[in-house]
Amino acid sequence: MEVSLEGVQVERDGRVLLDVPTLLLRGGRTTAILGPNGSGKTTLLRVIAGLDRPGTGRVRIGGLPAHASRVAYVFQEQVFLRRSVRDNLELGLRLRGLDPAERRVRMEEAARLLGITHLMVRRADRLSGGEGRRVSLARALCLRAPLVLLDEPLEGLDRPTYSRLLHELPQLLAAFDATRILVTHNPGEAVRLAEDLVVLVDGRVHASGEKRDVATNPRVPEVAEALGYFVVMRDGRRIAIPPDALRPGSGGEEFLMEVDEVVDLVASTEIAGRIGEVRVHVEVPAGSETPAQGDRIHLHADRFFELS
Amino acid sequence: MTELLAIVLRTLVVSGTATAMAVLVGFPLGYAIARRRFRGRTLLLGFINTGMGMPPVAVGLVVWVMLVRSGPFGGLDLIYTRTAMVLAQFLIATPIVVGFTTASVQALPPRLADLLFVLGAGRLRTMWILAREAKLGLAAAIMAAFGAIVSEVGASMIVGGNLERSTRVLTTAIVTETSRGEIERALVLGLILLGLTFIVSLALTVVQQRR
Repeated sequence: MEVSLEGVQVERDGRVLLDVPTLLLRGGRTTAILGPNGSGKTTLLRVIAGLDRPGTGRVRIGGLPAHASRVAYVFQEQVFLRRSVRDNLELGLRLRGLDPAERRVRMEEAARLLGITHLMVRRADRLSGGEGRRVSLARALCLRAPLVLLDEPLEGLDRPTYSRLLHELPQLLAAFDATRILVTHNPGEAVRLAEDLVVLVDGRVHASGEKRDVATNPRVPEVAEALGYFVVMRDGRRIAIPPDALRPGSGGEEFLMEVDEVVDLVASTEIAGRIGEVRVHVEVPAGSETPAQGDRIHLHADRFFELS
Repeated sequence: MTELLAIVLRTLVVSGTATAMAVLVGFPLGYAIARRRFRGRTLLLGFINTGMGMPPVAVGLVVWVMLVRSGPFGGLDLIYTRTAMVLAQFLIATPIVVGFTTASVQALPPRLADLLFVLGAGRLRTMWILAREAKLGLAAAIMAAFGAIVSEVGASMIVGGNLERSTRVLTTAIVTETSRGEIERALVLGLILLGLTFIVSLALTVVQQRR
């Protein structure tokens, strides 16, 4: 079920939060809305869900006006009634008028898939971050909505929980027989979890399409920076370098870096500094010969993209 | 004995009615103030919070000025009636209910109403579910409002006139018996008032703490 936006503009206190002349999100796929903090990602998701009304324009889901009954929404914050996990899962199913037998089947299936069967009688508002996130996903899953919206579903989790859920999410997202739209500021998450990318900066869409196309053709600095690339000047040209493509040594496209800091990360060493005015960092294996602060070293990029 | 029972019932009816009216007005008003942002909201909350500690005798005086025969609403012929007492107590209780309601609804998770919207709840259903989630604060609002008006004496005395078999309630009866030197009767009335407040508060506490 595709989602389309036409002429959508959201203003608050005289400031334009979102300005999307046209955007089409393809049905049956996972699209990541990627952008820095304050870029309007959550506003876009809320407009699609019908939680915020745009000042102008329209949103259509599967060709029909957006309506809450066709959406499942996973909030960034943990939002639960002060009741059991079961009651929280059942609430949406009750509100959508499902009979008790159907409610039970859906809840059991979602709980099994998310591994929360043992949590069903616990108070939902007293769960840990990871458990709460699973319950939020289960609540969305059992609605079986044609459109699932996830707002930073991995934000604020501790490292092991984050890592576990990050690896489980693709399979879980596939369990939603729906169009999935995911908001994140983390390019790694976006590329791992989504098939399509939309890059949003300052409320405007700067790129959208299949993730490989967007990631290998960032075109403008806003997109490159949202993807986490270093944007540096080179002989009057602006180029974007993916962090994993930048290494110490010679060969390929070479740059001179002035070293500001050398950080021992135990398993590796991070060398941070500047190419011109742009802050960059590279990692080298622990035990490698490392420069001192103030040294100038050569870096080379085995992959980079020309920007306009 | 019959008059004593009548005083107790009168007290319950007057303060119970005023509390019910304050709840009917105060819950939706407190909910709206908690959920909406509008110009002058902080000022309004400042007035409400001031109102929560308003001296009943001052409220009574204002109501008396309004309802006395020569006052703007004197033609309604309400002064020294139970209706006038209900009105005064309603004005005392309403800021308390609004203040508690606003605070308890604001204390709910900020995205809870959004969640209910996307789950498909309509406006009334959303209000009902939020009220259930905020029941600790809402029950406290009723207890505080009832406790404040059932125990006030100034407003009831001024607008009710403490008329025997008509507007005398437990607090004004206590004042009367004390001034007559009937200390034992005053003490018994005081104990009844305490018991009454306790029973109402206990009933609300049971509702409040029920899972």
